[in-house]
Amino acid sequence: MTPVSLVIVLVALISAVAGQIFLKHAMGSSHGETGFRSRKVIVPFLIGIALMTTQFFLVLGLLQRYDLSFIYPFQGLGVIIITFAAAITLREKLTLQLVAGSVLITVGVVLVSMT
Amino acid sequence: MATENKPSGWRHPWLHLAISIACVTIYELLLKRGAAETANLSPSWSWTGLTGLASIYVWIAIVFVILSLITWLYVLRYLPLSIAFPISQAVHVLVPLGSWLILGENIITLRWIGIALVSLGLAVVAKPVARLEEEL
Repeated sequence: MTPVSLVIVLVALISAVAGQIFLKHAMGSSHGETGFRSRKVIVPFLIGIALMTTQFFLVLGLLQRYDLSFIYPFQGLGVIIITFAAAITLREKLTLQLVAGSVLITVGVVLVSMT
Repeated sequence: MATENKPSGWRHPWLHLAISIACVTIYELLLKRGAAETANLSPSWSWTGLTGLASIYVWIAIVFVILSLITWLYVLRYLPLSIAFPISQAVHVLVPLGSWLILGENIITLRWIGIALVSLGLAVVAKPVARLEEEL
């Protein structure tokens, strides 16, 4: 893997994590009286979609050079990052079991990606 | 939030999580096939991934991307991200298995161990959630 590819992998990863946080924030705000028409929903939704689109094309570019079973698992590093990011930015409740499960999934995904 | 907290039947968020995971698995395999087809089209543009749009597989994949996104947004409306996202990682078991079975890619022992660890992690995350659902 070249340094440029590694940077693209990292940018794709950050886009994916931030995109999920923005989308969850948007959907979590959609239960109010104004539903989906509120700025609180639309703004984070559009930011989330923009980030996911960026990630989509970056990963597609990577797939032209590497095997799917090699490239895709890198995104799995996002699991543990998202679990903690959701706890910090969205104030979701973390349990020990949830963290342990996320760590197992992350380690598993990294193992898959290293091989 | 309380009144909309428990949709049932086909509106159940867990069903949509399963559909979303299936769509992701399908579109990843289609994207790889499309990307492989278009790998040598234009070296100066290929880093952007945009040359992939020349493949029909990529366009079919995009339909599944949209489907997975809609079902995922529905999931996010009801489930916490810190639970739904780890469970969505079932794709890391399904995609390598699909790459192996359908695309004929190789899976070595260490990768099998990784797949097993992800599966174990999924069970650990899902267990307290299942208990939580029973209490509701």
